[in-house]
Amino acid sequence: MGTFTGSFKGFGVTFAHMFRKVITTDYPFSPPKPAPRYHGRHILNRHPDGLEKCIGCELCAWACPADAIYVEGGDNTDEQRFSPGERYAKIYQINYARCIFCGLCIEACPTRSLTMSNEYELARDSRQDLIFTKKELLAPLLPGMEQPPHPMLLGETDKDYYVGALTNPGTSVGAERAPISQGDAE
Amino acid sequence: MGIEEKLPAGILLTSVEKLSNYARKSSFWGATFGLACCAIEMMASGGPHYDLGRWGMEVFRASPRQADLMIVAGRVSQKMAPVVRQIYDQMPEPRSVISMGVCASSGGMFNNYAIVQGVDHIIPVDVYLPGCPPRPEMLIDAILKMREKVMAQPLGPNGRKMLEARQAEGRTPIVAPGAMPSSYRVDKVRREEWTQAVKEGREEQLRIENWMKLQPHLREAHK
Amino acid sequence: MTDVQKRADQVSLIIDGVEVVAEKGELVIRVAERMGIAIPRFCDHPLLAPAGACRQCLVEVEGQRKPVASCTQTVAEGMVVKTQLSSPVAAKAQAGVMELLLINHPLDCPTCDKGGECPLQNQAMSTGRADSRFKEEKREYEKPIHISSQVLLDRERCVLCQRCTRFSEEIAGDKFIDLMDRSSGEQINVYRDDFFGGAGTGDGQVGEGEGDVAFNSYFSGNTIQICPVGALTGEQYRFRARPFDLVSTPSACEHCASGCSQRTDHRRGKVLRRLAGDDPAVNEEWNCDKGRWGFRYATATDRILTPQIRDTKTGELREASWSEALLAAAEGLKAAKERGVGVLTGGRLTVEDAYAYAKFARTVLGTNDVDFRARPLRATGSPVTTTEEADFLAAAVAGITEVTYEQVENAPSVVLAGLEPEEESPILFLRLRKGHIRRKLRVTAVSAYLSRGLEKIGAALVAAVPGDEAHILASDAAVAEALGAPGALLIVGERLATVPGALSAAADLAARTGAKLAWVPRRAGDRGAIDAGCLPNLLPGGRPVTDDAARAALSLAWKVDAGVVPGTPGRDTDRIIAAAADGTLGALLVGGVDPADLADPTLAENALDTVPFLVSLEMRQSAVTRRADVVLPIAPAVEKAGTYMDWEGRLRSFGAVLKSTAMTDGRVLEAIAALLDVSLNTGDVNAVRRELGGLPGSTLPSPVRPSVAAARAAQPAENQAVLATWHQLIDLGSLLDGDQVLAGTARPPVARIGKDLAESLGLADGDLVTVGTDRGSITLPAAITDLPPRVVWLPTNSPGSTVRRSLGVTAGAVVTLTAGVPGPILAEEAAR
Repeated sequence: MGTFTGSFKGFGVTFAHMFRKVITTDYPFSPPKPAPRYHGRHILNRHPDGLEKCIGCELCAWACPADAIYVEGGDNTDEQRFSPGERYAKIYQINYARCIFCGLCIEACPTRSLTMSNEYELARDSRQDLIFTKKELLAPLLPGMEQPPHPMLLGETDKDYYVGALTNPGTSVGAERAPISQGDAE
Repeated sequence: MGIEEKLPAGILLTSVEKLSNYARKSSFWGATFGLACCAIEMMASGGPHYDLGRWGMEVFRASPRQADLMIVAGRVSQKMAPVVRQIYDQMPEPRSVISMGVCASSGGMFNNYAIVQGVDHIIPVDVYLPGCPPRPEMLIDAILKMREKVMAQPLGPNGRKMLEARQAEGRTPIVAPGAMPSSYRVDKVRREEWTQAVKEGREEQLRIENWMKLQPHLREAHK
Repeated sequence: MTDVQKRADQVSLIIDGVEVVAEKGELVIRVAERMGIAIPRFCDHPLLAPAGACRQCLVEVEGQRKPVASCTQTVAEGMVVKTQLSSPVAAKAQAGVMELLLINHPLDCPTCDKGGECPLQNQAMSTGRADSRFKEEKREYEKPIHISSQVLLDRERCVLCQRCTRFSEEIAGDKFIDLMDRSSGEQINVYRDDFFGGAGTGDGQVGEGEGDVAFNSYFSGNTIQICPVGALTGEQYRFRARPFDLVSTPSACEHCASGCSQRTDHRRGKVLRRLAGDDPAVNEEWNCDKGRWGFRYATATDRILTPQIRDTKTGELREASWSEALLAAAEGLKAAKERGVGVLTGGRLTVEDAYAYAKFARTVLGTNDVDFRARPLRATGSPVTTTEEADFLAAAVAGITEVTYEQVENAPSVVLAGLEPEEESPILFLRLRKGHIRRKLRVTAVSAYLSRGLEKIGAALVAAVPGDEAHILASDAAVAEALGAPGALLIVGERLATVPGALSAAADLAARTGAKLAWVPRRAGDRGAIDAGCLPNLLPGGRPVTDDAARAALSLAWKVDAGVVPGTPGRDTDRIIAAAADGTLGALLVGGVDPADLADPTLAENALDTVPFLVSLEMRQSAVTRRADVVLPIAPAVEKAGTYMDWEGRLRSFGAVLKSTAMTDGRVLEAIAALLDVSLNTGDVNAVRRELGGLPGSTLPSPVRPSVAAARAAQPAENQAVLATWHQLIDLGSLLDGDQVLAGTARPPVARIGKDLAESLGLADGDLVTVGTDRGSITLPAAITDLPPRVVWLPTNSPGSTVRRSLGVTAGAVVTLTAGVPGPILAEEAAR
């Protein structure tokens, strides 16, 4: 008797599930929103006038435990200026076939040039395509930004750029602050 | 296989090619084996929350002889390499390989004597999936890209020649099969957006722009 | 205080509670260092005099009212010292100094070249405060100013430790850089107009004002290396990499016979910088700018990476596979063997490679026609049959290692002849200067004029008209007197070969006075090539080719038949070139020789054109490879292992810095020999080293010194002068190619003339003067110098002054002088 009702109990569980809400996510049709601090693909940010924030200091490459980042510095000149100050990244590469998305690089970045987005659809069919260069990594030009090289538009020296860098537009805004704290928790 | 090798290209077999590819992509049967932490995410992908069954892949085959998809999930140690190769060799053709996670793709952070620096040193890889480990969505994305690639695969040597001729003439799709993120490909508007961006060479910037639109604290900056 | 045994000249003291014995006069910081106590410091440097400038090394000494700087405090009997480890007072004092040093230091570590290897950064991390209490504006200067074409100065980063100024003054003797201004505006700078009320441009760059003096020192790079902060940086390395992703390899410098040890830093297959290595016996911690920055030649665009052979149909060089090119070389050499093959090796060879050439010539080609000397061997116009220099090298140089840097420093007196140490052997110059400054070393120089370099080592000049050196060495009383003291040294340069009888006279003088004799060549490979047997009269190990027993022993060791190694001395460079030019030679095997370095470049190129078969082992395109029938690429120093022998005879072994598939000369020669059925066994440096170590010794007594009669200088007629010339350190040498920044620090080429010539030609300083021969002419600005009558000096191979190419003569020749630019006829000549 107990056995008989017991098996019905079991089927009951299965049957009850037919009326429950489906728990399966609907990726890729409505991709889920990852946690705000999910470690996704990197972004190299820009100053409000479009100059690159990256100064080519290679601290990200140093911090990287997987040796996924390669940077070569270069000299800014008055004719060819890519970032405020003296130095910029002539070559910047992140090898996503090595990157483990640990985020040590963005912690190491002294200018908050390197931040992470929540993008994760990165699979490619060649290892070459997985090496992202400045072309892929640089943030898009927002309204008011100009494609470098161009002279410093926001001030005389690089110091003018770093004062107030917290309120810069672009993806580095609030990169070190919880976006939730701004009262929007969607 | 047989008849398709003998018939001239373009006759009769284009539809057969489509059908064959459709059949292949619609039910990949994965070989059951995991090498490290990535395998946990792979198992999660098979569970009800992510449910690979939506693409006919809920069953991972216990024998490689019944599988046509190999997901190398985890770092391949030098000792494991011959085993992986044997599993691959035992799989019937046509077969596909996804290298899941950075360790399988390139050795990842294990740049040392013990780890094969990329599973493509021992077997051909169709899709490389970064991440450490990749979340299940990333694996699904890779599988969907894999499916798209399979759909574009030529059937037999003549089909291959035809494809090569098309490539030589430059008649290739603007977005290469398997290059568009899945969430873009399944949405008509975003697919157009992406195709346009590829033409302008700024698809990666588009991705950041769209991501920014979703971030409440960045939305203001973007306006 | 009595437990520890000590001598009378020692004292005992207590540091951090531990009793220690120290030499009298030793500095507290050194004693602490020996005990393993690290006292932080910036200005202190063991090779520089104490300054006490940075105050970072403060320690507490019992009985003293205030903390004292341990880098200036000498030890005293019974002293009780407490460092930061045991004394809160010292720790607080050091923390305070660190805070003060950081007040004006900018926070630009991420872009600073020193970041990652910076003593200030390290000590700020270990003993500095986590946050700054300084809220005011930091002092700012224009960021970086060029104080020379190579060196940049960031004054805001400077902590005024004065290491750079002390180095420049004490070690190099180039006091271009100094502390200037007062108070908070005190700064390191070079002498500039705007400091003295002149019209500065205000952008801080040097060279704008009339009176600006750039930091033009051959040793300026050392100031960058010893700067404890990032205030001095080098243009060439600036922003190229960070220290933490460089791979460092110990290496040896390939530029001159000084034999500096170095550290080569590379990243992903590319050398990014070189630093002076620490070898107290040789270069101490210094090197010259040429060695530091002259490494771009290996990555020049004209580097040869694949073998080339001359196509029989088109007559043009075409790329070929190694096997094809080696076969072509082997067959060509085999066919030419009957008529004779000459082997010319340049100065860039390692000992191992030189040995390979020597062995290849003897065993494969069966000839003694091998010579490493790619330079004038004798005076212009003297007969090619004299073998004075080769005899001298056999008698007084080969296999002899008598004189060392240490002896130079400690000698009572040194006589220099045919050698301009600052230009031709900079590290020897630094040692001479150290001896002069620290130990009152007396230097006597037999030279045409008292150059700046000679002035800096306090040399007494024995003025010699070029050509008269032999006579002076043979009969000058002052020179003989200077060598009288025990331990005195006679140091001669390779240029003396161009004065007939000079090397004989030098060897005689040394024997007569009991002074030790040292021969200082210019190139890194020269000394090693002698001992490896790249001379027509010497076999490896300094054995004469005429020694039957040595030949027999070598034949046995080399496993060749007894008759293969010929017993008569071969032809030297000049005679090989002459034989090739008149068509009697069957082939030439040339490794690393630039025809422009030879006595007569035109004749040499003619010879290369005429010789039926020419094999060139070369790194980059050159005048030889363009004429060669087979070109075989070989590895630059950075991509191979090897050994240089410096002028002392000291071996300077180094390993390959970069992984490369490029082959050494020895390995290429081994491959050619293998095709001719000879096992050369020179492909692996370790094998060569073993073989060299196992060679039997010579049985003959050492060869007799040459005795050539001393010649006298030529007598110039009206409007003529005797030519004096030597190489400047930074010139047109092919190992300096590809580095514009380094070339910017070269001394500007001038023609030095005496007052007599200036008067007779009506010239003032800076006026153009034209020096000509029947071959061509050179026009340079005149610099009126204290020269002997009727002598003109030109740099041998500097921009606008290629003496051998343009004039076809060498030192001691008579040249004509005219004021101004050449007339139409001369101009036409010059244009040709």
